[in-house]
Amino acid sequence: MRGGELTRLALVTGAARGIGQAIARRLAADGARVAVNDIAPSAAMDKLAAEIGGIAAPADVSDREQVRDMVRRVEDAHGPVSTLVCNAAYMTMSPFLGHPAEDWWKIIDTNLSGTFHLIQAVLPGMRGQGHGRIVIVTSYWGIAGWPNATGYAASKAGLIALTKTLGRELAPEGIIVNAVAPGVIATPQLEVDAADAGLSLEEIEQRYARGVPLGRIGRPEEIAGAVAFLASPRVGAMVGAILQVNGGELRCRA
Amino acid sequence: MSTALVTGAASGIGAAVAAELAAAGWRVAGFDLRVAATEFAQAGDVTDADAVAEAAARAEQALGPIDALVTAAGHYEMTPVADITPSQWHRMLRVHLGGLVNAARAVLPGMLARREGQIVAISSELAVGGGDGDAHYAAAKGAVIGLVRSLAAEVAPLGVRVNSVAPGPTDTPLLAPDSPWRDPAYLGTLPARRLATAAEIAATVRFVLTEGSFMAGEVVSVNSGAVI
Repeated sequence: MRGGELTRLALVTGAARGIGQAIARRLAADGARVAVNDIAPSAAMDKLAAEIGGIAAPADVSDREQVRDMVRRVEDAHGPVSTLVCNAAYMTMSPFLGHPAEDWWKIIDTNLSGTFHLIQAVLPGMRGQGHGRIVIVTSYWGIAGWPNATGYAASKAGLIALTKTLGRELAPEGIIVNAVAPGVIATPQLEVDAADAGLSLEEIEQRYARGVPLGRIGRPEEIAGAVAFLASPRVGAMVGAILQVNGGELRCRA
Repeated sequence: MSTALVTGAASGIGAAVAAELAAAGWRVAGFDLRVAATEFAQAGDVTDADAVAEAAARAEQALGPIDALVTAAGHYEMTPVADITPSQWHRMLRVHLGGLVNAARAVLPGMLARREGQIVAISSELAVGGGDGDAHYAAAKGAVIGLVRSLAAEVAPLGVRVNSVAPGPTDTPLLAPDSPWRDPAYLGTLPARRLATAAEIAATVRFVLTEGSFMAGEVVSVNSGAVI
């Protein structure tokens, strides 16, 4: 997909680190101008935007007004967004009965409602172009479920239904909506998981890798490759699909 | 440089896959009932296990170890379920399921010995969603998906990735000019409002082969929204 097929403007949320950063770098390498979003201004965001010739676009995706203002700023300066990658996510883990209600709503408000706000904000611009690509980053856990991750899994399962519904609703207009469902990927989140479990980073990676048929956890670049494919002009016949990139976890169905 | 063996390479999706990979710098060996327009091409029937094994061996002699097998050889016909004859049923399963088994058996020993390689089987959205008037085809493609997922589980730890691409109605010679899948009234029910193109299926196969390094046992749907 390299070679300047993506000459338009892409907005990637949650892009300061981890999977989002890999996606921003990949889309830029493929020729897109990339607006780099994360929850607040940071040196990491500015550095990434500078390195890839992109635009720093801070906003808390769970805040509808911030999303609207951010998209307006980006589009006023650079034209309409043609590729939206909804990657920003929040997660805490807790046994179900002890799951704090405020965590539950922060997870839902960020992961699910944040995506709703983002798509509503960019859709008029995509309609004006008669073209758009929306790629939603959901999760293996949203397909299979995962103990102690009820809020996160519910938010990600909600994104799957959103992907399928918007796929049906928007495809007739040439706006193509699909999702990637990553398995366990080597990101900064693993350090949080390790601390929660009282393990070293290496130990948690080994624990996760044991359950993966390919025998390892994934790399952010492997998710970025899938997102870049779904953002390309060559996926016009993929609609509402959930692309599972999880090392061969088969005991579940999307 | 990578090498691929593509079954059904003389027309439709198989030909598009062969062309897509060749354009990306792959060496492609084609196998089909007719001689395909690939760098190395052999004519034969995928239902003949010995012929497939011989063809794979000759392809390796000519082009080097096979890094990827793509099984696109297919056969389609519409027949009401009560009218499907035993020989129609037999042929459908032999071409789709038998074709994958024969080709996988031919290339897997080498892949497992090298601890690398991959297989992409073309299945169908009819296997997932069911059809109306093509039960033998849907059953055969469903069996392909079951085999793909089991094979994936078995060989992923050994370094070989097996995946499937499941096309929906696609503009290929398998769809007759008067096929109901080409009826504008049907196409109007699809979210994408059109058939997929063979080139779009081929691009998806290429993505799985070149960027799907963390994918195994996956069935990638490219079906214009026919099944979501």
